[in-house]
Amino acid sequence: MSASDFQSVGTETWRQDGIAKVTGAEQYAPDISVDRMWFGRVLRSPHAHARIVEIDTSAAEALGAVCLTFADIPKVKYNERIVSTPPCLYRDRYVLADKPRHVGEAIAGIAAPTEALAEKALRAIRVEYEPLQTIITMDQAMRDGAAPIHDTIRLMDDDIPIEHNIAVARTIEVGDIDRGFAESDIVIERKFKTNRIYHAQMETKTVLCRPEVDGGLTVWASTQSIHNTRILLGEIYAIPLHKLNVKKAALGGSFGSSIQMNSVTPICVGLALKSGRPVKIVSTREEDMYDHVRYPSEITLKLGLKADGALIAGHMRADIDIGAHNIQAYPFLGCMGGFWASLYTLPNLKYEGRAVYTNKTPSCAMQGFGAPQTTFAVECLMDEIAADLGLDPVQYKLAHYVGLGGTFWGQGPASKCIIRSDGVPELLKVGSEKIGWKNRPKAGSGSGRYRRGIGMARGFHTSGVGHPKTSGAEMIDYSGAIVKVNEDGTVDLVQSLMDHGGGTNDAIAKIVAEEIGVPAQMVGISPVDTRTTLYDVSTHATRGVYAGGAAALKAARKVRQMLLDQAGRVLDVLPESLVIEPDHELGQGVIHCPNLADRRITVGALAKHMQINSLGTIAAAESLRQVNCPPAYVSYFLELEVDTHTGQIKTRRAVLGSDCGTVVNPKLAAGQLVGGLSKGHGYALIEDNHWDPETGELASKGFWVDGKTPSMSESPLLDDVETHFAHTFEPTGPFGAKGLGEAAGNPAVAAFANAVHNAIGVRFYEVPITPEKVLAALAAKQGPGAPARPEEPVADEPRLDPAPAGE
Amino acid sequence: MYMATNTHILVPEFDYRRPGSLSEVLALAAEHGDRARLIAGGTDLLVQMKMERDAPSLVISLAGIEELRGIASGDGLTIGAMTTIRDVAGSATVRRQYAALHEACQAFSTVQIMVMGTLGGNLCNASPAADTAPALLVLDARVDLVTGEGGRSVALGDFFTGPGRTVLAGGEVMQSVTLPEPGAGTGSAFLKISRVVADIAQVCAAVRLVRDGDTITDCRIALGSVAPTPLRIGRAEASLTGGNGGLEAFERAARIAAEEIRPISDVRATAAYRRHAAGVIVRDALTTAWRRAGEGGGK
Amino acid sequence: MNDRRVRFTLNGEPREVSVKPNDLLLNVIRDDEKLTGTKYGCGIGECGACTVHIDGRPVLACLELAVAAEGREIVTIEGLAGNGGALDPLQEAFLDNGAVQCGFCTPGMIMMGRALLDETPEPSEAEVRDYLRGTLCRCTGYASIVQSVIDAGAKEAAAD
Repeated sequence: MSASDFQSVGTETWRQDGIAKVTGAEQYAPDISVDRMWFGRVLRSPHAHARIVEIDTSAAEALGAVCLTFADIPKVKYNERIVSTPPCLYRDRYVLADKPRHVGEAIAGIAAPTEALAEKALRAIRVEYEPLQTIITMDQAMRDGAAPIHDTIRLMDDDIPIEHNIAVARTIEVGDIDRGFAESDIVIERKFKTNRIYHAQMETKTVLCRPEVDGGLTVWASTQSIHNTRILLGEIYAIPLHKLNVKKAALGGSFGSSIQMNSVTPICVGLALKSGRPVKIVSTREEDMYDHVRYPSEITLKLGLKADGALIAGHMRADIDIGAHNIQAYPFLGCMGGFWASLYTLPNLKYEGRAVYTNKTPSCAMQGFGAPQTTFAVECLMDEIAADLGLDPVQYKLAHYVGLGGTFWGQGPASKCIIRSDGVPELLKVGSEKIGWKNRPKAGSGSGRYRRGIGMARGFHTSGVGHPKTSGAEMIDYSGAIVKVNEDGTVDLVQSLMDHGGGTNDAIAKIVAEEIGVPAQMVGISPVDTRTTLYDVSTHATRGVYAGGAAALKAARKVRQMLLDQAGRVLDVLPESLVIEPDHELGQGVIHCPNLADRRITVGALAKHMQINSLGTIAAAESLRQVNCPPAYVSYFLELEVDTHTGQIKTRRAVLGSDCGTVVNPKLAAGQLVGGLSKGHGYALIEDNHWDPETGELASKGFWVDGKTPSMSESPLLDDVETHFAHTFEPTGPFGAKGLGEAAGNPAVAAFANAVHNAIGVRFYEVPITPEKVLAALAAKQGPGAPARPEEPVADEPRLDPAPAGE
Repeated sequence: MYMATNTHILVPEFDYRRPGSLSEVLALAAEHGDRARLIAGGTDLLVQMKMERDAPSLVISLAGIEELRGIASGDGLTIGAMTTIRDVAGSATVRRQYAALHEACQAFSTVQIMVMGTLGGNLCNASPAADTAPALLVLDARVDLVTGEGGRSVALGDFFTGPGRTVLAGGEVMQSVTLPEPGAGTGSAFLKISRVVADIAQVCAAVRLVRDGDTITDCRIALGSVAPTPLRIGRAEASLTGGNGGLEAFERAARIAAEEIRPISDVRATAAYRRHAAGVIVRDALTTAWRRAGEGGGK
Repeated sequence: MNDRRVRFTLNGEPREVSVKPNDLLLNVIRDDEKLTGTKYGCGIGECGACTVHIDGRPVLACLELAVAAEGREIVTIEGLAGNGGALDPLQEAFLDNGAVQCGFCTPGMIMMGRALLDETPEPSEAEVRDYLRGTLCRCTGYASIVQSVIDAGAKEAAAD
């Protein structure tokens, strides 16, 4: 089956929230206001690590503000990301800091009738700190005698001591690496380092909380999971869940930074409860920069191979700087190991991961959850091995990758599945052809100022965290959906799954339309909250379409059967003799009997018939966990141009391929890939964050430009970017679909590094590959004594000339 | 820590006046002295005020003073201090005769900032990284400053005294920027290197050459983001003046420029990178200006 | 710091509001006028999410004093669609091209795209990228947005 066999799946439609989004009518959390609302602000620590001696809020309260300090909050230690199961959920934080562990950590909350008063009150709070040793690097953190950032961490009912600031460590072993390395003809080891970049989602973390007269709360928040937000708030503030309603608001980007309940959310709730008023907190951009970053990594990868390149053994050690809190280090470490094990067949492997506390912004998921970091190391090293052995990297990778019939570790050791769809051969073939792989230059063979190079990398992300076991899971993974037929034959899809913007909800609406047999535009995505929806764990792990879509499909299948049963009665035929098909002219689903032309009724007419005869509503509510976690493969082929005089790198061409199974939203799917390239460009070449080693402050001081988010000008031209999709069908996915979102960027960093190598003959093991590093590497390549400045004649016209309009 | 940089509201309180004439502005400026700030585009001042680095008790808007706006040709060019960067960039005369200034304005941050920001504002803000400053320096710009007592004309090279500091006295207002008419055989160019296009320059450079056949008869080279103030590089200029143009000479001058500057390492670039990149863009800008000078028409 | 009355037109309607000298136009538009399509993204002119048109030119509402709006014509994203809700061709092009993902940058992007099309009908790709460079988007990689502005320009030229 392919997309062309479908009526709704794979068709182009305007996204359902599209008109609201292009007219400014869409309501994101910062856009929502309620009557009697006060404004909240947060007092944050100027110290990276300190004890609070005293907080004096009297002057702020005298101004009319309500203040929330550590003394006011419930002493519930929690982990803000309750995707992990309790035995895997390391809890180390309170609503407000017991002691500040990074600059910008929340010390107190303020609520006041106006934002101006809230700002004044914020400045009136006096805090006396006793500074402690500031630990910025992992080396400092693990040194003997380093100040403990956390003394203990809570797991289930135990307080586990923290040694050397190592929050958690994991080891995964398969086979016997000692034997494997002993049997290897070649052993190669490299160290890789990735950066600690900022999510740079457009919407800063926001929350609005309204206390209700029954003692309950209504909450609007930036979140990837309204249900997990509700559960956590219920636990922290001891409010029964039926009185606590979290409403879905449009999400202005997230990229993983709101899988966890964001730090402002419970503070706002505390302020609302204390003041008895609705309170809204919209984080400022600088606060947001101090709230979340991507996990950086230091990876040592050692591979043992036979003379022909066959991989025999591998040893990966990964140290992860998690910053001041352990948001999700345990699953992250597991994912890195699992993704590594799933890239290339390795009969003997050992993975050792450590997560280390430092006094910096806490790290969390960002599009890929360990896959970009791991893929950077593996895809670069595979490229290097192929070059050393005189093999074509594409052919070498094709010969050894984990594909059809192999085992895929979707999310660490506890979520594995057998691979049943595999578009890698097609992706690499098409990508090679489109980029002109065969004609790529010999690495470093170019001359002149501008040198072009072609590089590739492949990778994947999981589609959800499904697996067959009924116990021992590390992560929760199920979705729910309510599908109901309205009295005119339209359909409501009621689901708590969040859409990050990739079109998840639209894709699922198409899946529902396809299954029932109505035109796609007849399925509406309902505005929802936690009260009116079934539980959904979170829109993360690229699980939206594959797992959330499957839950909706299950409900739609039931609805379809109910329609057939009811229509059979009305039309006096066996339900088994009926089909439902969309009639696009009528704008209705039509139920008819192919053998008896006069037996037909529209879904609308049937629904109306049922209403006026009091026969009930056709609806189904279903919950579902996928038992598989198929890989969504992605390939990157890039052509870059390095300016050897300035060290700047430009993307000249990009061919991006995806194996997401059936493509449900074609243009939005392509947009995911192009978006992945943009974020990958930033990750690979420019973005980073710097914390002052003494003070622990962010060097950016709130200026976004220091995050270096790529703009339109840094992105390649329209004609230079091509996307393509493998013709695969995932048998376990809804209408053959699997994931795409996070996969879209996972191989990007490796592809950039490999293309830079092809251009200038230098391998970079650390990103971002900044102009400074490029120049230093070129100078080093020319050997000692060579001038720091390239002295070649200018063969080309200088291309920095920015004056097209003037010429 | 209350993290003022990106607050939703402007926290400092102040009074606001929007006079209708320059004389009123001068009177207010004289009366309130250091407690008053003039606001042009506001894109620098309001950020400084948000960060609470500046807290004037009075903000005097120049928006109502039409005579401070516009570009007038005659003997050279006079650009009103309140002319927006976007309008300078869009001027056909500037593009034709003062390419370095055109390019500096085109390279200026973002279009929204170009639409709001003014030439006078960019100069009076006196950032070492101000894009227009090196361009105006090589074009021999003078700035006209005025108080209620009268006016004075200051060479732009004498205007900047340090980061954020100028010779502007309390109550003094920049009225306009004047540029001499470019002679025959003049060519100029501006180049900038930044991390992302909307960023402040890691380093920027402007050059102007006057060409007579193969000979350089006059030359200006200036750089931004490489010292406490935008900087002319006299030794590099001298190395070219009177000699023949060409890659070798430009390379030599670029090397001198790279040696002469005093860059620092900061969040945007290392000093070493600035020094290196300065050499590259000075050479490239000289190459471009040389070509333009040869194309005639003062381009 | 006294309140003062400021008169301007907002999306074609005359308005008179009471503001303080330090009130920013962005907050007047969002909080007082309840037009929340104009977004706060950074507060210091780095992201373009707050772009509105003042007298036809694209301006950052986060760096504009509300008192300075006296006598001026302001158009926000809510003012682009015609009477009866007919979408602007640029809004349609965004939907046709899948140029809207999370949508938080979309109002600023469309206001910039519209300003460009008003200045330069049928812009080239280079002109689009140059003009919209100050509006950040983290989702799309920009290609679909650039395409939308080009498409809308071509469509408007064909309709003329």
